[in-house]
Amino acid sequence: MESLTKELKVRIIETLRLEDITPGQIDDDAPLFGTGLGLDSIDALELVAMLENSYGIVIKDLEEGRPAFQSIRVLANFIQAKRTS
Amino acid sequence: MAARSPVITGLGIVAATGCGVGATWNAIRAGVTGLKPLTLFSCPRYSQALAGEAQSDLAALGAPAHGSRSDKLGWLATREAVAFAKIDFKTCAERAGVVLGCSVGGSFDSERFLTTLIKRGKMRARPTRFHECVSVVDLIADQFGLFGPSMAISTACSSGALAIATAAEMIQAGEADVLLAGGADSLSRMTWAGFHSLLLVDEAGCRPFDAGRAGTSVGEGAGVLVLEAEEFARRRGATILARLSGWGASCDAHHATAPHPEGAGAVAAMQAALRRAGLESSAINYVNAHGTGTRDNDLAESKALKTVFSNRVPPVSSTKRFFGHALAASGAIEAVVCVEALQRQEIPPNPGFTTLDPAIGLEPVTTLRSASLTHVMSNSFGFGGNNAVLIFSQPETPALTRPPRPGPVAITGIGVVGPGAVSVREIEPLLPPETVTVHSCGTLADAALLTPNQRRRLSRMVQMALIAARRSHAHDSSQRLAVAMGTGLGCLEEGAVFIENFISHDGRAPMPSRFSGSVHNAAAAQVAIDLGAHAMNSAPTAGEISFECALWQGLHQLATDEADAALVGAVDELNKYPLSIGKRWGYWTGQAHPGEGAVVARLTRTESAVTPLAHVTTVRLGRYRRPFDAEREADWIAKAVDLETVDVVLSGAKGWPALDANYATVVAALSARAGRTLEHQTYKQLCGEFHAASAFGFSVAVELVRQGHRGVLLYTLSPRGAKALSCVQA
Repeated sequence: MESLTKELKVRIIETLRLEDITPGQIDDDAPLFGTGLGLDSIDALELVAMLENSYGIVIKDLEEGRPAFQSIRVLANFIQAKRTS
Repeated sequence: MAARSPVITGLGIVAATGCGVGATWNAIRAGVTGLKPLTLFSCPRYSQALAGEAQSDLAALGAPAHGSRSDKLGWLATREAVAFAKIDFKTCAERAGVVLGCSVGGSFDSERFLTTLIKRGKMRARPTRFHECVSVVDLIADQFGLFGPSMAISTACSSGALAIATAAEMIQAGEADVLLAGGADSLSRMTWAGFHSLLLVDEAGCRPFDAGRAGTSVGEGAGVLVLEAEEFARRRGATILARLSGWGASCDAHHATAPHPEGAGAVAAMQAALRRAGLESSAINYVNAHGTGTRDNDLAESKALKTVFSNRVPPVSSTKRFFGHALAASGAIEAVVCVEALQRQEIPPNPGFTTLDPAIGLEPVTTLRSASLTHVMSNSFGFGGNNAVLIFSQPETPALTRPPRPGPVAITGIGVVGPGAVSVREIEPLLPPETVTVHSCGTLADAALLTPNQRRRLSRMVQMALIAARRSHAHDSSQRLAVAMGTGLGCLEEGAVFIENFISHDGRAPMPSRFSGSVHNAAAAQVAIDLGAHAMNSAPTAGEISFECALWQGLHQLATDEADAALVGAVDELNKYPLSIGKRWGYWTGQAHPGEGAVVARLTRTESAVTPLAHVTTVRLGRYRRPFDAEREADWIAKAVDLETVDVVLSGAKGWPALDANYATVVAALSARAGRTLEHQTYKQLCGEFHAASAFGFSVAVELVRQGHRGVLLYTLSPRGAKALSCVQA
């Protein structure tokens, strides 16, 4: 699980071109959108694409993906659940 | 001014519903959608959705063999419109031109080039010859022998409507008597996968305004109107189909892809169109909505309609399910639908709607019905919050459009992002070996002006434009600010990365922000968001004269009092595509070196300028004859500018002997007319060669005037036939 959260941080930084942020600066429980990392709706679409490209998880509606994007930890759990289901 | 009121005398259309106005209306009357499974190319990842695909073999319909698919679509619609109007261009060639909306351009054909490059390691550059959005415009102007203004407008999904609005302004301002106006866009892997990656596609086909709507359907096609000055049309005995009585443009200045949630920009554009037409909202009998079928657009548009029509919304329908969303062509296709609705006194239905959405609270017309139609409105909204609204009226209605107030305009600020030095730029070549001496802006020194989100999200080209705009203009929210940013190649890199990735992964691995950033109007839209510019927002593209087209549009927004200030400029970026492909075609030989840059000038009306740097007194657009006729060109210039007040001619000479010789002979002919030697200066040795370079020339002209020259004439020729003239004076 820890390796997945670390991997997610690296992928998010790469996908969203967050050049001035290191994985260590992202808190597992900090909100990704709004405050926290301050991401927006286009970033959300990039995360949807990232989930498909890296984990084979297809999300067809942003509303469906929204709860999963609360934080790194929630997202990791979401991926884990999809993998085992 | 009634004499110069724009009227419509011809219509042409090709779309998923077929080729021709008759076939289109038959489909509308029968309620038969043109949506069907995609056949034009294979896309295994997104294979389920229905497409608004036109006939795959356009040559069978009589389209020319050369040109991109967009070019052919545009040509077919133009052929019908011209035959409809029964116009002989031989008698009015100098006063006739083309303004078309185009956003996909030759992408569909360029994808073939990239596929060959990636899959087979071979560079077959031929398909990219028609890549530029202006290709369709040049093709049509050449085929029909038109020598008036020609340009493409590339503001994504509002392009077609904004092109028609721009053409109307040109007619009204006396720039031309006849214009072919509309839009053309083909399907492409780029837009197909791009809309999917933004989660904006309803696989079952779009269902505009329906409670269950889940996205749009990507389509293609072309729509073309023959637009004439009323007096000109009446004199030649043409049948007038309708009057283009109003048009309005605005920008949400809110978000790159999402509309303003309350539809604020849509409201402003509809109100501007009503104002221009001199109509109360209650006079509108039917609205052809943008109605894409996405959750956000339809909700925002319905709110905007209720605001504009004070909750007494006239019959509304979206015809998107007939055609799919044909992007830059959609506004033009829907303009054809609106004129035909007026002609037939029938309201087209809104297929796909079954269930009322309480949040929308608006039930569109679901079956074709007869109605008494005098004034109808057509809405088009695009990425970047770009809105354009047209109002068509019965020919008997009076023309009420306000006349423009032309006159000199003050330049109150100028921002330049130009090359720091001539260098051999390290650019990853398409195929080795490729070393080219370039004029590069290098690392953008003023990038610190931008926010972290702008730096990480926006392409190099958009960043250059933003920095130039910031340097030219101090934010002032009390002013109505228009933006026109020309570009020749647009955000080529964003689109190419997207499609390279698509090809390498067989359609998997979508990149949504690369797609939304690939539109030509990304720079204009981001400048608007950055500086709060809510008036007209345009991205003209016309090769070497892209800047002058933007200058014309900005000046005209001031002349019609639609804006208090206008930011006009142009931008193009240097990357491996123009470098490598240009080298293959022998562009970078002799003294021609590739360059890049962005220039933005801030304009206001003379009376409201406190400390002007200089003034713009003239802008003219047109096309030159081949073989090149320097005397004819000198006549054209001398008619537009008082040569007494001009010291310097600043030309776009770029180290190509044949083109440069044309400039030299024109300067000589002008000197003969002036009775003294006009100084011939050039600027591309400073900034390099790129489509937006004449914007850099404009900044040089301003500087020359500030150094004491009375007047500088900027004269630009595009190798593809377009020309432009502008004059900067003290």
